[in-house]
Amino acid sequence: MIFEERQIEKNNFSSRAIFLFALVGVSFLAVLFQVFSLQVSSYTSYELAALNNKNYAIPIQPLRGEILDRKGHPIVRNEPTFDLITQPDLITQPELFLELIKPVIYLSEVEEVQYLKKFKEKAFVNKELVLKKNLSPEEIARFNVRSFNFTNAFIGKRHRRISDYPQVFAHVLGYTSRSNNQYDLSMEIPRSHWVDAELTYANGLIQGKTGLEETYNQHLSGTHGTRVYEINSRGRLVKTLEYYPPEKGLDLHTHLDIKAQISAANALGDRKGAVVAIDLKSGGINVLYSAPTYSVNKLSNGMSVDEFQDLIKDPNKPFFNRALQGRYPPASTIKPAIGMFGLTNQLINWREEIDDPGFFTLPENGRIYRGWKKGGHNNVNLKKALMVSSNTYFFKLAYQSDMKDLASYFSSLGFGSSVCRDCYEEDSVFVPSPEWKYKNFNVPWFTGDTVNIGVGQGYLVATPMQLANYISILANKGNLPAPALVKVENQSLDGNKSQEISLSKQDWVKMHDALTAVIESDFGTARSIRNLKDFQVAGKSGTAELVSLDSKEAYLEVRDKELLRDHSIIIAFGPMPNPQYAVSVVIENGESGGAVAGPVAIEVLKSLLNE
Amino acid sequence: MSNRSAKIYFDPYLFFSLFALSALGLFFLYSASNADTSIVLKQSVYVFLGFAIMLSVSQADPDVFRRTSLVFIIFSVLLLGITFLIGPEINGAQRWVRLGPFSFQSSELLKLALPIFLANFLFDKRLPIQSREIVISLAVIFIAFILVARQPDLGTGLIVGLSGLFVLFLSGLSWSFMGGAFIALIICSPLIWNFLLQPFQQQRIATLFNPESDPFGAGWNIIQSKIAIGSGGIFGKGFGEGSQTQLNFLPETKTDFIFSVIGEEFGFFGVVILLSIYFFVLMRCLYLALNARDRFCRLVIGGLTLTFAANLIINLCMVVGLLPVVGMPLPFISRGGSSLISLFFAFGIITSMGTHKKFLPQ
Repeated sequence: MIFEERQIEKNNFSSRAIFLFALVGVSFLAVLFQVFSLQVSSYTSYELAALNNKNYAIPIQPLRGEILDRKGHPIVRNEPTFDLITQPDLITQPELFLELIKPVIYLSEVEEVQYLKKFKEKAFVNKELVLKKNLSPEEIARFNVRSFNFTNAFIGKRHRRISDYPQVFAHVLGYTSRSNNQYDLSMEIPRSHWVDAELTYANGLIQGKTGLEETYNQHLSGTHGTRVYEINSRGRLVKTLEYYPPEKGLDLHTHLDIKAQISAANALGDRKGAVVAIDLKSGGINVLYSAPTYSVNKLSNGMSVDEFQDLIKDPNKPFFNRALQGRYPPASTIKPAIGMFGLTNQLINWREEIDDPGFFTLPENGRIYRGWKKGGHNNVNLKKALMVSSNTYFFKLAYQSDMKDLASYFSSLGFGSSVCRDCYEEDSVFVPSPEWKYKNFNVPWFTGDTVNIGVGQGYLVATPMQLANYISILANKGNLPAPALVKVENQSLDGNKSQEISLSKQDWVKMHDALTAVIESDFGTARSIRNLKDFQVAGKSGTAELVSLDSKEAYLEVRDKELLRDHSIIIAFGPMPNPQYAVSVVIENGESGGAVAGPVAIEVLKSLLNE
Repeated sequence: MSNRSAKIYFDPYLFFSLFALSALGLFFLYSASNADTSIVLKQSVYVFLGFAIMLSVSQADPDVFRRTSLVFIIFSVLLLGITFLIGPEINGAQRWVRLGPFSFQSSELLKLALPIFLANFLFDKRLPIQSREIVISLAVIFIAFILVARQPDLGTGLIVGLSGLFVLFLSGLSWSFMGGAFIALIICSPLIWNFLLQPFQQQRIATLFNPESDPFGAGWNIIQSKIAIGSGGIFGKGFGEGSQTQLNFLPETKTDFIFSVIGEEFGFFGVVILLSIYFFVLMRCLYLALNARDRFCRLVIGGLTLTFAANLIINLCMVVGLLPVVGMPLPFISRGGSSLISLFFAFGIITSMGTHKKFLPQ
């Protein structure tokens, strides 16, 4: 090539080389710009992303608070149990490990298979694996002696929720069980991390499902702790970065009385029914018992499917909380309320007497409403009517009453609403009224319906809780703090509403006098129980008719079939004249009210009074 | 003449900046390998060997490479063929050839052989170069590309292709031809997408534009790399302190993604220093190319340097999320013998061509 050509070539090369190297320079700038935007402009979000990658926070389960009775004795507590926990990461040959540990602790075939199944995964991520739950004291002792041989295993303390009175308090306590709802409690720990929670209970993450355990779940639960692990990309735990201990849940101080609850259960025996007792000063519920019952310990800590199915299928419905959900006609126990209504509306007074021939004839159509005693009680005034439980008197009084007014009077006594502030799934039932009847049956209200209500039959039904609330209002002469299971200082529920009923002071004295006479006088219908105690008690018994019977033959036939027999009911308070406690007892198919339900009420009052 | 034989052909700027890169590389590798000293020791042996090769190669006269260029490219192609027939299959690709205790990635040789061969073919042609030469050059480039790309190793295939195209461009390919080729490429791109790219390669390109669409699959690498670099901030988390690196969230820390390790542990500061060294090397090579003794040397220095630059930029763009993920190490830093040896070999040639002067002007 000649010189000029070489020069042209060289220039040509130079410009092209510089062009390409300029492109390289531009690319460098692009990279630098991108790195700058990642490291400087978006630093915060990438730093967070890197932390989210490596930080693995898990919750540490807190201990639940205990539930205590009114004297501070635990009804439910946390009982330690011991599990054998292994660190698969430190075990090279799981089969060999199992052979070595078998002489120390008993292992079933299933436990071995389960262990080997989960082993590899846990070893891979360096997480603990439970080999055996609920070790016996012998196993613990044997392991402790040989623990130097097992550096890859240790005994871990867990807890069980245990009540020492699992049957007696089953309905009111309720049970706990494993639950997924806790996930929502915490925002800072992602949902998926809860499967790795550090457990305090052998059952895992538990939550109250019914009863007090449910109502006060938040109060009892406490606050979970947090352990933040550093993990690698495979999810393997590398080390602990941060640790915040859990806070134990608060204890729950209730008004319940262990002794009284047990005496209620013993007095009821194996009969079906319910007992509710209320402390008149505070409105606190001392007894809330429903029979038949079940073991809350078994339900909380693992019950076999068969056992559970048996309970579910039991015709006596042990899971059914009769005290809060059973609907019973109040029968004659409603008579004091009717009487009070009559006094308030000046339909009657204490002196005025009527003739009781043993039945009441409805003027409109001549229909006969019978009393419980053939021939009647002759001349009766309000006191005598209550004492001997004259039906005629109250049929007549109801007949004179306006149903709308009567219904609203019932409502002010707590009927038709849930009266307990913190009971689990209390049935509010309803108060019958003309509108109610039309809405439900599309039939108008008849005067006869009101007449029936006068003796607590017909459409009127109430729960034992409502009956206890009603008798407590009476016992307190018109006002009562709303009943509650838990003492005010740790009630997280709203409103300390109290219920009020007005009646003149004299009327209250006379009413208490009349109701005392029901039990304490020679002619009272519940006099059979007067000798069971050494203090005076006021009250009213009732026999709720399940089948309306017109002939004596039919009645005798029904008596033979237990399930069709009448329910016996008593509502009572004492000691008179300055009552402290009120109680309601319903015994299903127990027949005569005073004689059957009465002794149960007396047992409970006695137990509450000699604290 | 005695004067000439005593001379050692050596470029201090290149030598010391490459020394700095290699030393930093070993340093970074120690952290990237979670403090695995055996890996670092093995790599330092390669570095030592590399420098020895570079120094030896740079003593040879440029004419030696010119005369042996045909033999060299034939040898490279044969080696590639042997790999294709008998090489062990690793991750579904046959790229390696075993020479005694060493495994060698056979495509590395072609990256050197192709630009030298083309430079030799084109250096004495008149300007502007004729269609005949263009067609022959393109055919050779295409064959080389296909041979490597079929391994399959699209990344290296592209680099090999580029190494040829750089020489062709530098030797005076007309602008109009290039414009036409560029338009043709754009038109053909759907065909390339559908027929040339494997599904996993299509996936990688797709995830570049939306890595979050598949955060645990194909997008994982890009996302984790960006997190690593971004979380490094201005000064980095410190040597051995990068959580993305040390806890294995970042993939391929020792090879393709070692730049992310540097970004995470040394921050923007570290990145700027590293890029500055690279940039200095490139500028020094441009200087050598512009001042080389003849057209052949200019073309070879230019071709090899730009190949090196392309390799570097593709890796950088990939780890910062500007290009799809392709297997491409960071030159002088990533772990691996083949690429390091071939790099030193290339810089040996560059030094030789940049330092040898003609005694007798033509």
